[in-house]
Amino acid sequence: MAERYSSFEPNGATWLLQRITAALLVVLLAFHFFQLHFLNHAYEVTFADTQARMEDPAYFATMVLFLVAAAFHGLNGIYNALVNQGIEGTRKTIAKYGLTLAGIVLVAQGIRVAMAMAGVTIS
Amino acid sequence: MSQSYDRGLIEDFGRWREFSAGMWAWILHKFTGWVLIGYLFMHIAVLSTAIDAASGDPATYTDTIQGLESLLVVRVLEIGLLATAVFHILNGVRLLMVDLGVGLEAQDKSFYASLVVTGGIVVASVPTFLGGGVV
Amino acid sequence: MSTEQDEPTAETTTDADEAPAQTPGDRRREEKQARMQVTERERAEAAAAADETVQLKVFRFDPEVPEKEEPRFDDFHVPYVQGMTVLDALIYARDEFDSSLTFRHSCRQAVCGSDALFINGSQRLACKTQLSALDAPVRVEPLPHQDVVKDLVVDMEHFYDQMEAVEPYMQSEEFPEGELEEQRQSPENREKIKMSTRCIWCGACMSSCNIAAGDNEYLGPAAINKAYRFAMDEREEDDIKEHRMRIMEQEHGVWRCQTQFSCTEVCPKDIPLTEHIQELKREAVKSNLKFW
Repeated sequence: MAERYSSFEPNGATWLLQRITAALLVVLLAFHFFQLHFLNHAYEVTFADTQARMEDPAYFATMVLFLVAAAFHGLNGIYNALVNQGIEGTRKTIAKYGLTLAGIVLVAQGIRVAMAMAGVTIS
Repeated sequence: MSQSYDRGLIEDFGRWREFSAGMWAWILHKFTGWVLIGYLFMHIAVLSTAIDAASGDPATYTDTIQGLESLLVVRVLEIGLLATAVFHILNGVRLLMVDLGVGLEAQDKSFYASLVVTGGIVVASVPTFLGGGVV
Repeated sequence: MSTEQDEPTAETTTDADEAPAQTPGDRRREEKQARMQVTERERAEAAAAADETVQLKVFRFDPEVPEKEEPRFDDFHVPYVQGMTVLDALIYARDEFDSSLTFRHSCRQAVCGSDALFINGSQRLACKTQLSALDAPVRVEPLPHQDVVKDLVVDMEHFYDQMEAVEPYMQSEEFPEGELEEQRQSPENREKIKMSTRCIWCGACMSSCNIAAGDNEYLGPAAINKAYRFAMDEREEDDIKEHRMRIMEQEHGVWRCQTQFSCTEVCPKDIPLTEHIQELKREAVKSNLKFW
């Protein structure tokens, strides 16, 4: 291997990112659950309420961060589980790009939804 | 040596009685993880009704959510989701501590603690989850 | 047994006087026979005196005998003696009941690391596992997740390959001045790596590891602990430590550890394996962040 030790090993970087997103998600997921089940009851949710929340840029940004962190943490978790099972070669490559694609689709759709809720429209 | 014998995976679920705390924690963490990422995809799919709602008909969104919430099954499943999320969070905190090298000797106790606390929170939340407008 | 040899010396001298035709060889054979009778009698007495026997269920497999190709469990009822270990019981079963029973053992005192077995569902050293601490019947199997060669003997090749992969030897190239000068280590540093030096290469940890069972390329707890032992040794230079960290940082290195603590729980030498692996993970992240 030609690369210098200083180039961040991708495995170490994803490991660290997995922990960082974990710490973020502990807070965000607890907040999300608390807000939408205890503070506001899920059965009373209306589109107007959702719009009101999403129109706050700070809330919007938090939710997008939440989505990105959760998507990475979850899909990287699945990838790790597969590698732990001993997945190799082509199947591993397929898993890697398949999961990345799933993540991109999930985040893109999530942001589209969030923008619709916030009343931002492009097109 | 003529041949050898591959006994396969000995520590499979058939030996679950012999699993230790750390092993159980790993199994449950993995299982709850799968559930949560599966839920995230579903969650975004359901919320996608907001796109139609924004382009004119707010009822699409409100009716979908309130329609789902009026079903008892959904409420029960939500309690399950809460249990899953709370356990994953608490055991996740335990794992972060292990990663930081804190309290490795108490890793089994912290696993039992996360189970007990999860149970407590879930039981305490049942009224909130079942209250209000279940058909 | 060897200590008994001196005893009859006085008698033999008188014997030799009375019957000069007897050769020294004859005398030795006679003595040996007498000794064997004594030990046999002692054994029989011990067996009779033992109120209890311990039932062992032992995994059997022999690819060279067609009737034994199909793995099975054999029962052995071994007379229990206070302080008996699983290894003692296996030796008794082999010596008294079935000489074809095959297992590795050598020092009998948890130093050589050759008799790690799967006893009552857990990886243990047979020589330091007391029968009194186990529920009967005692189930003795070869180490899981390794190919069985015969009976309780498993193929350790892959385990040794992983151990070699981390270069388990001192690579320091700086030597102190003076011909007979030692490479000194501070007491604190010695203390730090102390537990990691206790590894006896028995393979119990690797066999207990769920991830090593799935991912064949995973270095495994023993090899990572070995790497820790040298990476943390202050006598090696920084560039050698970097070289060692690079081996640890591969995809199938430290990152595969899922902190199940299985290895730490089965290690017969009580090495805090998970702790060492975790420390290497943090070390890898830290040194990368520093350079980044």
